[in-house]
Amino acid sequence: MKPAPFAYERPRDLDAALSMLAASGGSAKVIAGGQSLGPMLNLRLVQPELIVDISGLAELKRAEVSRGELVLGALVTHADIEDGRTADVTRGAMRGVAANIAYRAVRNRGTIGGSLSHADPAADWISALAALGARVTLRSLAGARTMAIEAFVVGALESALRAGEIVEAIHVPSRAASAHWGYAKSCRKTGEFAHAIAAVLIDPTAASARVVIGAIDTTPIVVTDAAELFGGRIAGDYKQCFDIRVADALLAKAGIDDAAQRHIHVSVLKRALLEAAA
Amino acid sequence: MTTIALQVNRRAVEISAEPRTSLADFVRDGLDLTGTHLGCEHGVCGACTVLLDGVPARSCITYAVACAGADITTIEGLDEDEVTTELRAAFTREHALQCGYCTPGMLVSARDLVLRLPDADERRIRVGLSGNLCRCTGYVGIVRAVQSVIEARRARNIAPLADGGRTILGPAGSGRATSGQNGPQPATQALAAASDSVAPGAIPDFTPATVLNQRFTLPHAPAKVFAMFDDVAGVASCLPGVSLKAPPTPERVEGAIRVRLGPIAASFEGAARVERDPATFSGRIIGIGTDQRSRSATQGEIRYRLLPLEGGAATAVELSIGYTLSGMLAQVGRPGLVRDLAKRLVAEFAGNLDRHLSGTAPGQATAAELSFWSMISEVLHARLVRMFGRVFTGKDGAE
Amino acid sequence: MKEGAGLRNEREFPSGKSGQGVGARLPRKEDDRLMRGRGQYVADIRLAGLQDVAFVRSPLAHARIRGIHVPERYRGSVFTAADLGGIKPIRAVSGLPGFKISEQPVLATGKVRQVGELVAMCLAPTRAEAEDIAASVTLDLEELPAVYDMLKAREPGSALVHEHWGDNVFLETNYEVDISVALDAPIKVTREISTARQCMSPLEGRGVVATFDRRLDQLTLHSAAQMPHITRSGLAECLGMEEGQIRVISPDVGGGFGHKGILLPEEVCLSWLAMQRGHPVRWLEDRREHLVASSNCREHHYKITVYADRDGTLRGIDCEATVDSGAYSSYPFSACLEAAQIASILPGPYKMPAYRCRTFSVATNKCPILPYRGVARTGVCFALELMLDLVAAEAGLEPGEVRLRNLVLPEQMPFDNITRKHFDSGDYPEAMRRALAAIDVDSIRAKQRLGEVDGRRIGVGVSIYCEQAAHGTSVYSGWGIPMVPGHEQASARLTPDGGLELRVGVHSHGQGMETTLAQVAHEILGVDVAKIRIILGDTAMTPYSTGTWGSRSMVMAGGAVATACRELGERARRIGAKLLQHDPAAVVLQNGEVRGVNGSVNIQTIAHTWYRRPQDLPADVDPGGLEVTQGYKPVRDSGTFSYAAHAAVVAVDPDVGEVEILDYVIVEDGGVLVNPQVVDGQIYGGLAQGIGTALYEEMPFDASGQPLATTLADYLLPGPTEVPAARLDHMETPSPYTQFGVKGIGEGGAIAPPAAIANAVNDALRPLGVELMQSPITPHRVVEAVLAARATERSAA
Repeated sequence: MKPAPFAYERPRDLDAALSMLAASGGSAKVIAGGQSLGPMLNLRLVQPELIVDISGLAELKRAEVSRGELVLGALVTHADIEDGRTADVTRGAMRGVAANIAYRAVRNRGTIGGSLSHADPAADWISALAALGARVTLRSLAGARTMAIEAFVVGALESALRAGEIVEAIHVPSRAASAHWGYAKSCRKTGEFAHAIAAVLIDPTAASARVVIGAIDTTPIVVTDAAELFGGRIAGDYKQCFDIRVADALLAKAGIDDAAQRHIHVSVLKRALLEAAA
Repeated sequence: MTTIALQVNRRAVEISAEPRTSLADFVRDGLDLTGTHLGCEHGVCGACTVLLDGVPARSCITYAVACAGADITTIEGLDEDEVTTELRAAFTREHALQCGYCTPGMLVSARDLVLRLPDADERRIRVGLSGNLCRCTGYVGIVRAVQSVIEARRARNIAPLADGGRTILGPAGSGRATSGQNGPQPATQALAAASDSVAPGAIPDFTPATVLNQRFTLPHAPAKVFAMFDDVAGVASCLPGVSLKAPPTPERVEGAIRVRLGPIAASFEGAARVERDPATFSGRIIGIGTDQRSRSATQGEIRYRLLPLEGGAATAVELSIGYTLSGMLAQVGRPGLVRDLAKRLVAEFAGNLDRHLSGTAPGQATAAELSFWSMISEVLHARLVRMFGRVFTGKDGAE
Repeated sequence: MKEGAGLRNEREFPSGKSGQGVGARLPRKEDDRLMRGRGQYVADIRLAGLQDVAFVRSPLAHARIRGIHVPERYRGSVFTAADLGGIKPIRAVSGLPGFKISEQPVLATGKVRQVGELVAMCLAPTRAEAEDIAASVTLDLEELPAVYDMLKAREPGSALVHEHWGDNVFLETNYEVDISVALDAPIKVTREISTARQCMSPLEGRGVVATFDRRLDQLTLHSAAQMPHITRSGLAECLGMEEGQIRVISPDVGGGFGHKGILLPEEVCLSWLAMQRGHPVRWLEDRREHLVASSNCREHHYKITVYADRDGTLRGIDCEATVDSGAYSSYPFSACLEAAQIASILPGPYKMPAYRCRTFSVATNKCPILPYRGVARTGVCFALELMLDLVAAEAGLEPGEVRLRNLVLPEQMPFDNITRKHFDSGDYPEAMRRALAAIDVDSIRAKQRLGEVDGRRIGVGVSIYCEQAAHGTSVYSGWGIPMVPGHEQASARLTPDGGLELRVGVHSHGQGMETTLAQVAHEILGVDVAKIRIILGDTAMTPYSTGTWGSRSMVMAGGAVATACRELGERARRIGAKLLQHDPAAVVLQNGEVRGVNGSVNIQTIAHTWYRRPQDLPADVDPGGLEVTQGYKPVRDSGTFSYAAHAAVVAVDPDVGEVEILDYVIVEDGGVLVNPQVVDGQIYGGLAQGIGTALYEEMPFDASGQPLATTLADYLLPGPTEVPAARLDHMETPSPYTQFGVKGIGEGGAIAPPAAIANAVNDALRPLGVELMQSPITPHRVVEAVLAARATERSAA
């Protein structure tokens, strides 16, 4: 189980990396920690002519709080977040998510930017960051653009990245002191891909809620105005008001035609709500 | 080949290897450090775990070239290590190993837990070790051994490693190299065209593993719509990613379909035969194709039936799309991912067909596909056939 | 999870003279090298000129080969069946009447019959380059309908795996003891029960390094193998060579579990290639190959009826069992190893007056099934123990009570059951009673009445089995497969410095035999375990043996080592008597010394004198020397019967489908334990695999015969958080037929867990009307069943 041969470039800076990607005409793949791409290369599911290794780029290793939001460079690893080497504006929410991604040896190399770029529906960040209201900055030689996470993920393993473009940074807004956070996932075993994820950010004071149902084999369901899930209004009793029929209908609309699967997703969402309300 | 310089077990080494060489193969084959074991080569089992700049990493999915300048420690480099020595004593006391194959990776991960988590209870130890599989021991002895070492060190008031053993951000092992490359461009492999081997008439009937149904209406009479299906090239080109090798005959079409699921790309080359039944305004296109790279094959079938609406002024087009996939791409575990692509691919096809038959301009995304003499760009993505998944209008057939 | 306090048996066996003999919890001799990365597995062997092989494998389950196209530049590096002149296919024929023969070509000819079947062999300096070549080879295949469902495969009109058979049945067997007397029983429960196809998944895959020595005219095959001597016989048959021309070496082996007990087509291919090329060649099975192509086991289906009286007394069992044997019959165990055994072992440790079982070994377009830890027993235990819980529910009894009513009693030992299995010893009801007490069924029932605060339901389940081990000639001769075990040999040699070398034909792949066989020798000779070396895994260095399988090694090789050491001790004693100038009748060997009334001489001195100072020995000394080979067979060769009662408490979330094991108890009787810590390790490890069977492991196929779990992200192996720290209790009823009273215990841990866990899950969900009769019990299956039960309830309401 060895990869097909590929050429390898280690650009000295971000501009050089972008130039290499632009020059490759789509035949290059970007590698950072390689925790998703590595297995696919080894299985020969992916056979790029050129690998552009961005893991050394200092520009992508920043973590700073500016104007009330946390800006994380794409190369920040899950372990960096888990260990608190990066600042936290989510009052522990991101640390909790990071600590339960795969295994420690994977977290030591796997990056937040790589995880987003891979857009695996079963991965944690695309759901968690969508619930936190995060945005992502993409950069190519043509310049930068920024979009919400939920706009960035367009399908299973399918992101909004264009040829020649890479994830540069993730912007995470501060979590309000009054906002409750709940994150639940069901995995058949510890560290494996989740088959159901739910992330909720609920602020009863502001009567706002973001609810994400993930790991549904397609773009996570992101409900930015979640009042409907709670009988039309969001207040301190949201746990009691949760309407499972609405959640079930959302899942059915997203194409989940297996009732047991829908039931599991709704039940995991209930868990996340319980955690938020605890 | 490229020269890779790094430190292994406190010794500077410089060895030439291909960029595709994993760190595990690099230390095993290049340095004869065979204590690092390969158990799965896709990052799950943990047998290959080594220390990379002091923290555990999977050496099977980390390429040696990406570790240039980094500091690597394998099990052989932990012979005199204090924590590992304590762990070895505990492992043998608690019968924490049987065949020994997982043991080096297990010790590397256990050492990390001991250093990072001085307060870990049994549950945390189990979670902490969950990235290392053992098929022999049932983990009982391993957990007891790690717990005993943690407790002994706690009793001796040994402080945990600050910052999880790292002070800088980014992937362990990264950022220590000077920039540069590389190695020569690999020779692109010339692959035989599979379609050459598909003899005329050799396209067999088959029972699709998955069938999707779709329906739309057109403001034309059935006979007119049926005639439009004569334009095989036009119909084929509505399928995203299709390119034709030559002008089709009324009975046969040859070409390729390119599909993509994330970083996975496949190009199925093959041929299809075309059948029409004017009596029932129905027909089918049945094809077979092979992707040489992934040694995967597909059979696909598009059935259509035209039903008069509004007294024959309009037509309901009933499409039934079925497929079977075999080979490596069929065996990729997570078929659920495919369903998502399926929806988009089939929706796109039906939409394009609707527009094509209606005579309206195709959507922007499909413009390239309509130029069917050229290779199609990867604008629309989908992993072929099996990826057609189910779920579309809810009228699925058997899977 | 409860701590194991009070139940773990830490008892030292008293005969360990210096804490090293039989019964000592001795740390293992093999650990140190393995913990320092100094073990040597096949992949670690370095030979000058070594080249790597990658195989082109069939992507289709069933197809006719129309052509194999090799690019011009790689001709000479790619080998197909057309190149392998004179190599015979692998044939493993059972002597049971009606068995149909399959021939497995080592490289496919004409047809491919499974995904992953070998089609071409590609040679290059590295594995990566060999895979490049393999990727360039194109196959022209005409796909045929795949036989993927064993029940459909039995129906007339099914596609055929082997056309000339006319059907897809390797073997059908029938066994009956007057079932008619059971038919009027007041309780009659019928169900269909199935177990998933699994992959054994040792962490190390198979691996082969082959090299040919022209001077010796000898092929040396290094192979990760459990049974090197059997591998040699199989190779000789396929290659048309004399066995003496072949040496098989099995170095450190990273787990076997049955997977490494068969002759591989790869072994034959690599042997041929090494002889053809004159340089060493290597193939290492990667995980994908393991999962897709070469390790399948345990896909069973049962249609079973249990008859019982109102008080739970068994009246009879009627069963039709089908096993998916895959495409070919594997050497040496054959395609009927599971199904044909089912008929004889289904009754387990229970008494019953009537019994009927019909079995089918069915050929399909899947990987051939291989023996996996607990061969056939795991499925049988699952089927019968699930049924007994249903009988208990019908009778309104506790499941434990139904077992106690029907288990064979200690006063009946030795006992011949309804299928004429000969139980050597044991107290099965006592094991069950202890398990029930330890798991505390009453407290679980009380908790169930209170209901669970976290929305989960708890349940308790039990199961019990017997494990026939160390099957001998009388068991296997009737089966008539290429391998019939006979006598086991061991060689024992004192070295000039008083050390002991033992040579055995079994192998150790985690079982710790370098330690436990040394303990046996120490028990007899008193030589320090540190000075005893065990030599195994090499046909040139060890006596013939069928190898390590069927939980036989401690019974058979342990017995042989004891016998050889006794003879060696006798020789040493006689030499010692000469040195002490005593009548041999007046001296004894004790604690490594020959003692007489006026002095003693230790073994070290005896050995030194024998080898280095023969001039000190009188002329009339027996010239036999200090090196012996002795054979051994238990008093009865029908096998030892170890057994265990398992009890599990689970919590099931009916809405998410997650199952957590809250407590697990095993009360085990493996006869006398040579090293209780090693035995514990076998049981804990078996339990982990049993949990895999119960909850996680499944190799699914689609309708075209494509295997769908091709990575360890799809084929889930239990990790540290999935396996609880079980509580163990040992009973140690000696076998009357073996040395020291030992019994085989290697497989047992993996047999009972699926049944105990499924029974616990069903116990938890029974109030909801849910019944799960299929392994593994996945979250999806749980929730699906819960929703179906709710729908039934609604429609009934």
